[in-house]
Amino acid sequence: MTAQITNARQRTERSPLRSALVPLLVTALLTGAGAAVTTWRAPADYRTQVALATGLSALLLCNAVVVVAVQRARQRALLARLAENEAGSRSFAEQTLPALLDRLRSGSAPDSALKALPQPSNTSHQQVLRTVAQELGRSEAGKAAALTACADAAGRMQALSTSMLADLREMEHQHADEDVLGDLLYLDHRTAQAGRLADSIAVLTGARSGRRWAKPIVMESILRGAMGRIAGYQRVRLHTTVDVAIAGHAAEGVMHALAELLDNAANFSPPTAEVHVYVEEVPAGLVVTIEDSGLVMGDFALRRAERAVSGEALDLTTLSGTRLGLPVVGCLARKHGLAVSFRPSARGGTGVIVRIPQLVIHRPQEQGSQPGARYVPVDRGEAPGGGSAQWAEPQAVPASGAERRPEGTSLGFDGPQPVVEQRPLAENEATPGIAAAAVLEAFSAQPADGDPLFGPLPGGRADAVPGAETAGPAGSGPVAQPAVSGSPEPDEASDEASDEASDGAPGEDFPLVLPQRVSTLRSPRPVGDAPAEPAGPVEPDDGQAGRRAVPRRGVGRAVSARWRRGRRAARRRRRGRSTAERNAARSPRRAEQRDTTAPRPSNLVLATGG
Amino acid sequence: MSRPGRDDSPDRLYTVTGGRSRANSTAFDLVTLVVSEFDPAPGMQSEHRAILAMCRRPTAVVEIAAELRLPVSIVKILLSDLLAAGRVTARHPQPLPTASSLPDPLVLEQVLVGLRNL
Repeated sequence: MTAQITNARQRTERSPLRSALVPLLVTALLTGAGAAVTTWRAPADYRTQVALATGLSALLLCNAVVVVAVQRARQRALLARLAENEAGSRSFAEQTLPALLDRLRSGSAPDSALKALPQPSNTSHQQVLRTVAQELGRSEAGKAAALTACADAAGRMQALSTSMLADLREMEHQHADEDVLGDLLYLDHRTAQAGRLADSIAVLTGARSGRRWAKPIVMESILRGAMGRIAGYQRVRLHTTVDVAIAGHAAEGVMHALAELLDNAANFSPPTAEVHVYVEEVPAGLVVTIEDSGLVMGDFALRRAERAVSGEALDLTTLSGTRLGLPVVGCLARKHGLAVSFRPSARGGTGVIVRIPQLVIHRPQEQGSQPGARYVPVDRGEAPGGGSAQWAEPQAVPASGAERRPEGTSLGFDGPQPVVEQRPLAENEATPGIAAAAVLEAFSAQPADGDPLFGPLPGGRADAVPGAETAGPAGSGPVAQPAVSGSPEPDEASDEASDEASDGAPGEDFPLVLPQRVSTLRSPRPVGDAPAEPAGPVEPDDGQAGRRAVPRRGVGRAVSARWRRGRRAARRRRRGRSTAERNAARSPRRAEQRDTTAPRPSNLVLATGG
Repeated sequence: MSRPGRDDSPDRLYTVTGGRSRANSTAFDLVTLVVSEFDPAPGMQSEHRAILAMCRRPTAVVEIAAELRLPVSIVKILLSDLLAAGRVTARHPQPLPTASSLPDPLVLEQVLVGLRNL
């Protein structure tokens, strides 16, 4: 390009003389001819003077013509250069500079951005470009560093608040005194609000979300979690009967978005007014309506709010000081596909409608779960009388069990569900008609004469209950013979199985029907724990189930207490003063909760009719 | 399995009780037996539903707390709400033999002395 420009310039510089040549020749010819004719016609006396005069004037005329021609050519050349410069400036301003800015904003280094662009011919343009690139590069680097620092700080604050919340919960469980509990709850609330602020900063700076839930969270918990993070949570009234859950990966985002909207609603309404939250299911997902009776947003404010939450890429320059809520909602809406809209509320304030897409909604299995049940109660003590007799059926167990097993394991379960469904028992499967109560009956039939946890169990013990344990190779189909292999350390093994199960290991790899541990029947669990208990981990505690299934009545608290002690002892041995154990020592009641393998005494007593 | 420093539930306890840390009624202690009078209905707080479902048979407060995995104080607040609404009734278990029905320590001491003297 530079070469072309140089050529053009040379052309324009050469052209004046060349263009002057033709007029000069023409003028010289004409004036020469005119002078000759005039001289020839003149009288002889004056011929010399006439010749001199005409020659002189012809010369002058030629000279003038040359001068004019040269000037005109030069003027033309100047005009051309001017136009060329103008075009260069225009392209510099309209193309080169914006392209440079784009490149710099997208994160490329100033040098590489300059190299990638065509160099302008004008040196001053080049210099401008270089200066702009350097300055902008520096400011972009500063901005990126500031953002990273913010994100990092926010992440740390998130981690801190999360662990503080966990600690506070721990303390709330430990201190029964109401005054202490009140203070702890107060601190809990403040920490939750601090955590939300950290979450907001993290979202705005593009850091990854601090908290992740490993399980789906039911809508009630989502709403409560959201309202727990705002100052005026006591003014929020929840109206929900839906029993769906939000998938774990989106739960935090949804909760945070709802918290910001609730905070807006609570802040922009009178301190005594209530904020109502309604949840309903629609074909497109879940609709959460937050209605306050505070200020009505004007048209302009509504449009601005809609724009803030519309899910466009966030421009940090649009942030207005302290009002971070709606931009945060916008970020989260974009991330999780939420649709947020505002409208005047019939209550006199503003209504916000949040649509949560079907994609992140997790529906609990229908079987046996009652709507909205976060705690699925065990229906104790209503076992049919014939329950124990069914277990003596030897053949039915393996066959039906092997068929039903995959069904049980493929539940992929996350929502509220009766415990029995998660862990189909061999006994239960032998007689599919038996409901949870029958299984409970099985659970109540503890062996009175042995502690299943201490020491290896003789395999022969289980022969009373054929089919209780199938120790054949995987996939061997129906096992006709109740092969029982005594595990040397049933407790250890079952503990491991429990850990594995609680880590969410899927059970599809286990086609065999294995009896489940009693512990799974122990208590209804909150919904979210469900995935931690997939349907079919192998239960290596051979023999236990067989013994368990022997219908024996009259097992009392002593046995269960001993069992519980045994569990703790085994755990202690295995983990060596682990945290769980320490907590257990500190708070026996909690230990009992955690000790998922220990049957509750009351269960035993009630179920055995004790 | 709960791990230290990790919170497994987004529900904060103050949202469960609406910010209260003190039960309105003093009818409940750890061993008070609670019986539900109504069936759980949709729209109720999930803890209330769970308590009502759990207490179809008399259940001790401490047992409810263990089942719900909530601190006893919180459960007492929930129960006092239910009690105020008439959805549960509370009853104290049969009192143990009181101190007055036990033999007098003085008599026991004298018996001990007598036995030693034998």
